[in-house]
Amino acid sequence: MQKQKNKPIDPVVIVMLGVVFVAIAVAMIAFQPNSNSINIAAGAGTLSQLLVAFVTGITTGGLSCLAVQGGLLASSLAHQIEQDYVEHAAKNKKVKTAPRSNSALPIALFLLAKLVAYTLLGALLGWLGSYLTLSPLTRAFLMIAIGIFMIGNALRMFNVHPIFRYFSIEPPKFITRYIRRTAKGTDTATPIFLGLLTVFIPCGVTQAMMATALGTGSIAMGAALMFAFTLGTSPVFFIIAYLTTELGSRLEKFFMRFVAVLVLILGFVTLDGGLNLMGSPFSLQNLTLRLTAQGAARNWFPSESIASAQTDSSQPSADGSITLQVQNSGYFPTTLKAPADKDFTLNLVTNQTYSCARDFVIPALNFYELLPDTGTVQVNIPAQKAGSTLFFTCSMGMYTGQIVFE
Amino acid sequence: MIKKTFKIPDMTCSNCAMKLESLEDSLDGVKEINASYHRLEMVIEYDESKLNDEQIVAAVRKKGYQAEII
Repeated sequence: MQKQKNKPIDPVVIVMLGVVFVAIAVAMIAFQPNSNSINIAAGAGTLSQLLVAFVTGITTGGLSCLAVQGGLLASSLAHQIEQDYVEHAAKNKKVKTAPRSNSALPIALFLLAKLVAYTLLGALLGWLGSYLTLSPLTRAFLMIAIGIFMIGNALRMFNVHPIFRYFSIEPPKFITRYIRRTAKGTDTATPIFLGLLTVFIPCGVTQAMMATALGTGSIAMGAALMFAFTLGTSPVFFIIAYLTTELGSRLEKFFMRFVAVLVLILGFVTLDGGLNLMGSPFSLQNLTLRLTAQGAARNWFPSESIASAQTDSSQPSADGSITLQVQNSGYFPTTLKAPADKDFTLNLVTNQTYSCARDFVIPALNFYELLPDTGTVQVNIPAQKAGSTLFFTCSMGMYTGQIVFE
Repeated sequence: MIKKTFKIPDMTCSNCAMKLESLEDSLDGVKEINASYHRLEMVIEYDESKLNDEQIVAAVRKKGYQAEII
């Protein structure tokens, strides 16, 4: 007798739906209206923030969330598959064929409900954030805390030490019990309800994104950020739902290692961003800046391209002011040289700049301003001692630069 | 009713705890299960006239984990 293999989920359906989700997301980002149309209290860079959120979702978010919420989806699906099998067996007692599963619909409903729930949560967090004025320093601490949390979670996944297990937040028992019992339902409303309930069991990466949504201080941006992130997680949910039911735990373990590596990298990036936002000279970017600036000065890096790209190309003008070009890809030049023991004016010039570079921060001076997308903003820099350095950064700690006083 | 603690060394996340707690619904005689990923433990309260340790260990194994009585 030929052994029949039960194919619970059609991979083609899953992949196609995943592609549709990605296409929607790309279209959403591509046709994003001008960033000015959304009021973001935290600053500019709507497009890049949404893109980062989406990419985080599609890479680390989806895989990480699956570790927490995947069981819920799988148990819901398992029931659906089991029901399909029973119905199929009842109809085809004599014909031994594999049953066609209706799993795509519950997965889609589950993910749609999850998308709606997290978008609403993002709006709520953004609204709450509008009442909390997060200074760059507060945001820096928040980012450092999130970075440490993510690194701890990655080390937990690698099983480095039992202490790292405490980086995993266990939801309250009454919530998990309630969710588990709801998962036994069979009607269409169940996957929708379960999808909505996933807001109570967010994974580490989602929690980090929730903190970011809080930091936006805007209902629209909070909602958009969580929408982009959750949308990003959706294709991964589709694919892994197939893998976990079809290919078993061996591949799941491989994916969890992959997640751990990605979470670790993202954790270090977030931590470094937080250090940048604090104006710490020990962030990776600021250390690199100092080394390249010193290297260029001492001719360690003789390449003309490196020297011209990284070091001072704008000398103080006749009136003593110095100009910094604020572009979509960062600050140019990245290292400015200024005379010591003398006040001077820093001209921040933007020209159709829409990235987070517009959200300009000098942590040591507690200076923070959202620059116009095109124009010039003058900042008075007080006298600094010779040999000292002032670091500047965008509000996300992504783009950095320095002013060296000599 | 009796309460016993089992060591579950191969839990990997808090979802594992949720999976183990679902035995509450499938094992006859269980009153309550509290599983913790942080401690890698499962505390089970059950009616010893209806259930024994071997049955619990077997049920846990069916969920994909090893259990040892502490």
